[in-house]
Amino acid sequence: MTLALQVTAVVALLYFAVLNAIYLVFTGIAWRGVTHHLRARAYAGENEAFASPLTPPISILLPAYNEATGIVESIRSLLTLRYPEIEIVVVNDGSTDGTMGSLVEAFDLVRIRKALREAVPTKPVRAAYVSRRHPELLVLDKENGGKADALNTGLSAAQYPYVCAIDADAILEEDALMRVAKPMLDDPSLVAATGGIVRIANGCRVDHGRVVEVGLPRSPLATLQVVEYFRAFLVGRMGWSSLRSLLIISGAFGLFRRSLVEAVGGWRTETVGEDIELVVRLHRYLRDRGEEYRIDFVPDPVCWTEVPEDLRTLGRQRRRWQRGLGETVWRHRGVFLRPRYGVIGFFGFPYFVIFELFGPLIQIVGPPVTIYAYATGRLSLPFLIGFLVVSLLLGVLLSVAALALEEFSFRRHPSTRDVVRLLVFSVAENIGYRQLNDVWRLLAFVDLARRRRTWGAQQRRGIGARNSASSG
Amino acid sequence: MQQLFAWSSVALGGGSVTFVGLLVFRRIRLYRLEVERQEAERRLEPLALALVNGEEIEAVDARDAGVLAGLLSRYARQVTGDSSSALAGYFERSGGVEREVAALGDRRAWRRAAAAYLLGDMGSEWAVGALRDALCDGSRDVRTAAARSLGRLRASAAAEELVGVFVTAEVAHGVAGQALLGLGSAALPALRGLTGSDDPRLREAAVELLGLLGEAADSPLLVARLRDSAAEVRASAARALGRLAAEDAAAAVRAALDDRIPFVRAAAARALGEIGGRDAAPALLALARSDHYDAAQAAARALVRVDPTLLAAAGHEGFGPHVSEAVDRAAIRS
Repeated sequence: MTLALQVTAVVALLYFAVLNAIYLVFTGIAWRGVTHHLRARAYAGENEAFASPLTPPISILLPAYNEATGIVESIRSLLTLRYPEIEIVVVNDGSTDGTMGSLVEAFDLVRIRKALREAVPTKPVRAAYVSRRHPELLVLDKENGGKADALNTGLSAAQYPYVCAIDADAILEEDALMRVAKPMLDDPSLVAATGGIVRIANGCRVDHGRVVEVGLPRSPLATLQVVEYFRAFLVGRMGWSSLRSLLIISGAFGLFRRSLVEAVGGWRTETVGEDIELVVRLHRYLRDRGEEYRIDFVPDPVCWTEVPEDLRTLGRQRRRWQRGLGETVWRHRGVFLRPRYGVIGFFGFPYFVIFELFGPLIQIVGPPVTIYAYATGRLSLPFLIGFLVVSLLLGVLLSVAALALEEFSFRRHPSTRDVVRLLVFSVAENIGYRQLNDVWRLLAFVDLARRRRTWGAQQRRGIGARNSASSG
Repeated sequence: MQQLFAWSSVALGGGSVTFVGLLVFRRIRLYRLEVERQEAERRLEPLALALVNGEEIEAVDARDAGVLAGLLSRYARQVTGDSSSALAGYFERSGGVEREVAALGDRRAWRRAAAAYLLGDMGSEWAVGALRDALCDGSRDVRTAAARSLGRLRASAAAEELVGVFVTAEVAHGVAGQALLGLGSAALPALRGLTGSDDPRLREAAVELLGLLGEAADSPLLVARLRDSAAEVRASAARALGRLAAEDAAAAVRAALDDRIPFVRAAAARALGEIGGRDAAPALLALARSDHYDAAQAAARALVRVDPTLLAAAGHEGFGPHVSEAVDRAAIRS
């Protein structure tokens, strides 16, 4: 028992030390990366790119399942994007609410016969429609097959060389597409995919598919997620991107070279983590062929999205994310420590396996073991208190550093009151919220063991709908 | 161990407090700077407008000079002709050009890039030589800013260098391309020469840009590239001929519909849609029934413009999904 306890203690301490060292290094890398990005943006010629005939057109793919409350607002926001040439391919994935009806009514859709590429097999398409008012809007009505299947259907219909996958409840800022595409415009032969930042729309004022006033949600749970997203995107993704090991591009907003997605077989329908799985597969495909490439995170193109405000929905979401990660890790286990995959094989992928997939296990096992060790006299009270205080302060430092980075760079929360509130939540998230997350992530192992495949019902209130209601 | 915990706690707590302090300081400082900037811009705007209108203005103090330069560079992006010369003259007289040219030698890359960018907005030809040198800077940001500025200054002397960096990805591709387009007809001699380069990437880029900048007289040069050994160059030539709507090249582009590479066939079909002429209709209809998606789509869409009557008739006779789609889309547009 003593030996087991000692081994557990050493593993937990090592885990704690390495993980936090990585976080601290990433915070430094992210500060450097964001500072350089902002300076470079000032002379990157964004306006020139908008006016250039050399800027390639983009197909936006919007999979929708029971999104009647928010889909019209989302499409309206897409129609006003500042980009020279786009087409919007909406894929209604067998919705059972009024999604299709609201689309037909809002955009004056007319049925057409549509040729599909069929590069990737999908569930049958029942009908295709084009908007009479917006010829660049194509709607495909298909049998239900899940998000990945809907994305693959959109891929089959896309006519342009780049595809941008976004969530149906997401709202893109006017310049978001131009900014997320900038690395591809700058290095078309090198950049395979890019992802933008996802920010939380709960609490923001939305008008005609645009976020017109940034605010914080009233719900404490959603506010905790604001702090969490700062850390995950501004620090985490920025760090991974700088190290050329970005393994996640959020399903809510990612841009891909179409020919590459087709070459790897599109989005996988057998996993709920189709976004991370596709990016890992792209890395493997390109590295297997010895091609030089980049997959980048861009910190300023903003995609606003709604996050859960109740524990049940949030727990389901986190379990699903973890399940997706587990499925991806298992499917691509061949990447682990394989020299041919370079920094991905030796750092990026192992990090996800050890700290993201199995991390919750260690974090959950840690406290009971510590308490047991203390109760049996193997751990002194000063050590216990010291360790807890250091853990807490480290968590606070990392959260506050992420918040400071946001404030120094993009400053999307203009209200001083909001910033003070975020500071308070940066401290608070370390007490309870992170631990709760670990519990949910641990429960995902149960789902994995049961081979659960479903997404679970998602209750959307609709960003636009909610704002209209509250302002009325 | 306890001492280690104690010191760690002090360091981590101190770090958090420092970040919070920085946040507060930054908020206050940004607020003050913003108020000062707005006030200075309000005060200096009439002077800036006077300069744009070609009037002489009194010298301003060093602090205001920076704000005025910022205002003027914003206007400089929107003005041409005499106003542009007036602004360039002001920046030359006030020492702004000299200062920014000197900054191209700064040890900080971001400062060099900012200087290279600003020199383009200042509009002074004095800067061309220094900007051409900056195309060889060690930082990609500096090279990109220099390329953009050379385009804004219409520095025809830099045309060949700009094509070079456009192809070799030494600067951001889109910016270099836009800079070359900014040169306009001044870039044409260099581009024409590069269509015969040994490097297929250079040929492809030159042909692509000729399609955007060239004239009818460039058609024979482009037609020759339809027989290039590199498929990318052939596709690029077809696109270029389409952009130029080169009717005299219609037969050669029609022949490219039989190219063995599908994306060349697709480019040729699109080009025929731009060039027009019913002669191409039967070949386009045949391609629209083919198996390759992009080529068939391009051909069906081109038919809408080339021969809508034939397309409508084909739509009823089961000529495949691409023709059916084109017919339905055409019906919506009409």
